Amino acid sequence: MAIQRRIKRIHAIEVTLVWLALIAILTVALMFLNFSPAYVAEHWQFVVTGVWTTIALCLISIAIATILALLGALGRMSANPIANGISGFYISIIRGTPLLIQIYLIYLGLPQIGSQFRALGYDQLADLFTLTAFQSGVLALSLNYGAYMTEIFRAGLQSISYGQREAAIALGMNRWQTMRRVILPQGVRIIIPDIGNQFIAMQKDTAQVSVMGIWELTFRANRMARQDSKFMEMLLLAALTYWILTIVTSWMQSRLERRMAHAYER
Amino acid sequence: MPMNDNTIIRVENLHKWFGLLHVLRGISFSVQSKDVLVIIGRSGSGKSTLLRCLNFLEDPSSGNITIAGHTVTTAPGIRPDQQKILALRLSTGMVFQEFNLFPHMTALDNVIEGLITVKRMKKDDAIPIGERYLRKVGLFDKRDVHPIRLSGGQKQRVAIARALAMEPKVMLFDEPTSALDPELIGEVLDVMKQLAQEGMTMLIVTHEMGFACDVADRMIYVDEGEIVEEGCPEDIFHNPKDERTHIFLNPLLKVQHIE
Repeated sequence: MAIQRRIKRIHAIEVTLVWLALIAILTVALMFLNFSPAYVAEHWQFVVTGVWTTIALCLISIAIATILALLGALGRMSANPIANGISGFYISIIRGTPLLIQIYLIYLGLPQIGSQFRALGYDQLADLFTLTAFQSGVLALSLNYGAYMTEIFRAGLQSISYGQREAAIALGMNRWQTMRRVILPQGVRIIIPDIGNQFIAMQKDTAQVSVMGIWELTFRANRMARQDSKFMEMLLLAALTYWILTIVTSWMQSRLERRMAHAYER
Repeated sequence: MPMNDNTIIRVENLHKWFGLLHVLRGISFSVQSKDVLVIIGRSGSGKSTLLRCLNFLEDPSSGNITIAGHTVTTAPGIRPDQQKILALRLSTGMVFQEFNLFPHMTALDNVIEGLITVKRMKKDDAIPIGERYLRKVGLFDKRDVHPIRLSGGQKQRVAIARALAMEPKVMLFDEPTSALDPELIGEVLDVMKQLAQEGMTMLIVTHEMGFACDVADRMIYVDEGEIVEEGCPEDIFHNPKDERTHIFLNPLLKVQHIE
């Protein structure tokens, strides 16, 4: 046992050394390529501040996407043709079109409908269709990820054995009670790691909402870079920030998973 | 047919089709209150399906089921009344071969789940009832344990307590010991025997012939979706009228040395 642990530790040290070597090589290469660390040191704050916007976008969007995915999954599993039809249609449309188009449609397309309503005198309805860039970003990401996560939720809920449902039915529970008390609590445990993966993937997809001028990481990096033609410096800085964000979130996710596994472990 | 005062279950002309497969072919029988009816038959004979039709885990294709005064009539193309089906389910408690305990709840939470969710009882009121039934199956000390930390026999006893807590008129057991290691079967059968002695009406599908002989007031032998033999255990075991019953029971009698 002790020897095995030592071999494992030595292996981990070796892998870390390789990573450090790779980073060192890349850094040296960048120095030769006219990369200016001084510029990064001067302007990093302007870019990295955007991480809060990125995180806010993600947190709100993943929360809404989770609700959409749950509704979508219930719809997909439903025998009701209306519920089934709506959720199938939603998933098909979202998965069949690029996120970037969805973003444009929501940010640029919806106000067009809004102005039509305004012309007809429905001002409040018009306001509803005219979203800020941030709102548009949240809506696009929520709709997009909600559709992809629907399948995850459906698979998770359907993985609960049929015996669980039968036990609930035999006790006299109706379908909704069975879902809420028996299927969902078990399904969520299975789904949570996948929600974590989606959350991590979404962090990178938020870069796409920079096209609307939301002041998140990518937009700030791009803006500063254009001003001084320092693309390598600013974009690499943004990339590094995303990377660190991903590492931190993955670590938090694995901790959460371990804690959840404890809930009814031997 | 007039309903005898003591008749608690009456099944009339029950048919069940799975697609083109005719699984139950006109089953009729009745059970007196406080009686134990054991249903035997080879696997695939339809005996589990019969039990599962009684609380509509399977929808019968046609026939009448009456339990504790609630009658549900089914016929092809007619959707049976959901309120009446619920009444049947509340009159019956079911114990499954695979236990089907809720793994995310403790033993006690499993037992009181039906009281809280279905009977809308307050948790504080439900807990003493749950504890009483856990004590009844000898598992009060496991009240805060999750099913994964229970043995198979303990799981099945919690499952029995869960069904009993709803205070059903009839208990349905669907091969309650078939998924258990041999050394764990006894503790479950003991609980069931005790229930029988206390006067619980029970329908049991089982392969435990010794136990069946012991506890049954009446037995029915099901083959290819029909009741081919019906009577008290002595008659079924020693004077079977039908050749099929004899062939089914003979090797089992030799193995288990039933007098």
